[in-house]
Amino acid sequence: MLTAFEDTAHRYQRRVYSFARYLLSSREEAEDVTQEVLLRLWRHRQGVDEERLGSWLLRVTRNACYDLLRKRRSEAAAGRVRTFDDEAAQEVASGEPGPQDRAEASDFRRRLLAALTKIGEPYKSVIILREVQGLPHREIGEALGIPEATVRVHLHRGRRRLRERLNEDVHHATE
Amino acid sequence: MRPNDEFSCADAIDFLEPYLDGDLPTGQADRLREHLGSCAACAAELALAERIQRELRSLPQPDCPPEVIERVVRAGRGEVVPFPGRKQPLRWRIAAAAAVMALTLGGGSLFVHLQNQRLQSQREQQVAQATQEARFALAYLGRATHKVGLDVRDEVLQKRLVIPTTRSVSRSLSDLPDEPRKEF
Repeated sequence: MLTAFEDTAHRYQRRVYSFARYLLSSREEAEDVTQEVLLRLWRHRQGVDEERLGSWLLRVTRNACYDLLRKRRSEAAAGRVRTFDDEAAQEVASGEPGPQDRAEASDFRRRLLAALTKIGEPYKSVIILREVQGLPHREIGEALGIPEATVRVHLHRGRRRLRERLNEDVHHATE
Repeated sequence: MRPNDEFSCADAIDFLEPYLDGDLPTGQADRLREHLGSCAACAAELALAERIQRELRSLPQPDCPPEVIERVVRAGRGEVVPFPGRKQPLRWRIAAAAAVMALTLGGGSLFVHLQNQRLQSQREQQVAQATQEARFALAYLGRATHKVGLDVRDEVLQKRLVIPTTRSVSRSLSDLPDEPRKEF
């Protein structure tokens, strides 16, 4: 039983961790959430349907992240507003040729990740699961408890919000 | 927008993401392409939308640090595993533990003593207040009884005893034969 659990934990850890990482924009909190989610999986290992395990894990991850984000809102009043950290920006540095191009690409990615933190839910979750993780619409719908057509609508609106945010950045920069 | 109308820029901006995902019906997609061919601003927006999607799809999916998975697996085996708390720095947790210990050991007896004193004082105050309230109630009851007594006398006894007696005496006196007033 434990071997099967170990297999499951190793198989899904990246999906859980990266979802939490992009939702929370914090490495430490994402680790805490992953640990909590996997422990919950261990406790409920008998009751989770194997076919729906992926969406179950994502749903539990999202709920754990929402709890943390709610706590964080009260901290925001004290001026502790977080954005995607520099370490993450370094991790996602592009491999385009030439330092000028690389710097520009890195800057675009940094602004994109900053915009992603501001577009709100459920758009952020849908974009992470669809565009970053490449999950099918059906599985995203199961994880978030919404119809597949709604997933598509949220995806379009979320990316449009990103585009508007990035345009605002450029507009502010040229003022 | 009617089916055969040309796309305005506002329409085009609305449909860029569905167009990129292939979710736009063929007719609308054709008209959007036509608009984009003649509108540099909307074409630039499409380029930005494409770049956003490309960038999102190239973002890495980092692995969870192996020690986190290891802790969970060991906990699953029944081992006692320390899970590091991250919410407070170590120095704050030590300070908090020391404060709790000091309060428990040093301040515990003082707390109990003060608590007893406070309870005793509360009891005395309650007794004094209850006594005062009882006195007030008795005094009020006495005054009320006295007033009721006066009312009974005035309203009942006077009507039934004093007034009839007065009338009777008056009647008796009036029935007496007139006598010459004696001269003293």
